[in-house]
Amino acid sequence: MTHLNNERRPETQPGVASAEDGLVILDGPDGVAVTMTAAAAAETGHNLVEAARAAQMQIGTTPGSDEN
Amino acid sequence: MLTERFLRNKRNVSLSLGERECLEAAISEVQTIEPRRVLVKAGDKLDHSTLLIDGIMSRHIDDHNGLRQLVAIHVPGDFVDLHAYPLKTLDHDVASMTTAVVGMVPHGKLDDIISERPQLGRKLWYATLLDAAIHRAWLFRLGRLAAVGRVAHFLCETNARLAAVGLSDGRQFPLALTQTNISEICGLTHVHVNRVMRQLREERLCIFRLSVVEILDPVGLAARGQFDPTYLYIDQ
Repeated sequence: MTHLNNERRPETQPGVASAEDGLVILDGPDGVAVTMTAAAAAETGHNLVEAARAAQMQIGTTPGSDEN
Repeated sequence: MLTERFLRNKRNVSLSLGERECLEAAISEVQTIEPRRVLVKAGDKLDHSTLLIDGIMSRHIDDHNGLRQLVAIHVPGDFVDLHAYPLKTLDHDVASMTTAVVGMVPHGKLDDIISERPQLGRKLWYATLLDAAIHRAWLFRLGRLAAVGRVAHFLCETNARLAAVGLSDGRQFPLALTQTNISEICGLTHVHVNRVMRQLREERLCIFRLSVVEILDPVGLAARGQFDPTYLYIDQ
């Protein structure tokens, strides 16, 4: 019998953002594949930084580290 | 023969000449359809099913904003909406992507085949199970793969399906789809697809130009798309 250990875990690798034809393309992690306007990308980036800061505070680590 | 590509080169199934002739005789009408025409609307009451003889067709669902997700494409030899035989209506639209030639098979004729030729009836069942296997692969593609992997997987799958029916030499095949079509298949924007195509070309994996796909590195492209053709049940 095969033991399944397939629990989805949070990604530890960042997505890769690039600019293409005046738009922002986000690739990864975990199958993410999104195209955004520059304004939407900037706002998403801001939201991600804010959420990352809040998450770090929840676990008592400093922003920029990934110690969990 | 109109049915020559149906289940051609599929594992554990082959149609005898008599079975192909029987299926051929069940076709009541052959139609040529222009590109981008909806042949079946979701919810239509259906009394026939459609065998694709030439061209490419799709099954699609539009969201509330009118944005389209292709949930299947069909290549020559596919029984596009055999599901409509037991279901009588479909939950999605069926449309031509290119000029398509189709054979209409009345459900009454399928009744006759199933009662008089049960072995051929099982082969029709096999065809719908093959569609289900491809749907599972499409779920995997959209759920697990990043943009370049999705496109690589789709191109590998299409190459394998077309090769099975004699329409690809395994390295090069005609594919009269636009990048918008591929974006609707892979859940990407056309800008994203354009970038992925350039990436595949720069990595010397594949070139898609002038409606022709040329696979430069089949092993590399399959690896990029995590493509394993087992689910296509193609006779090796």
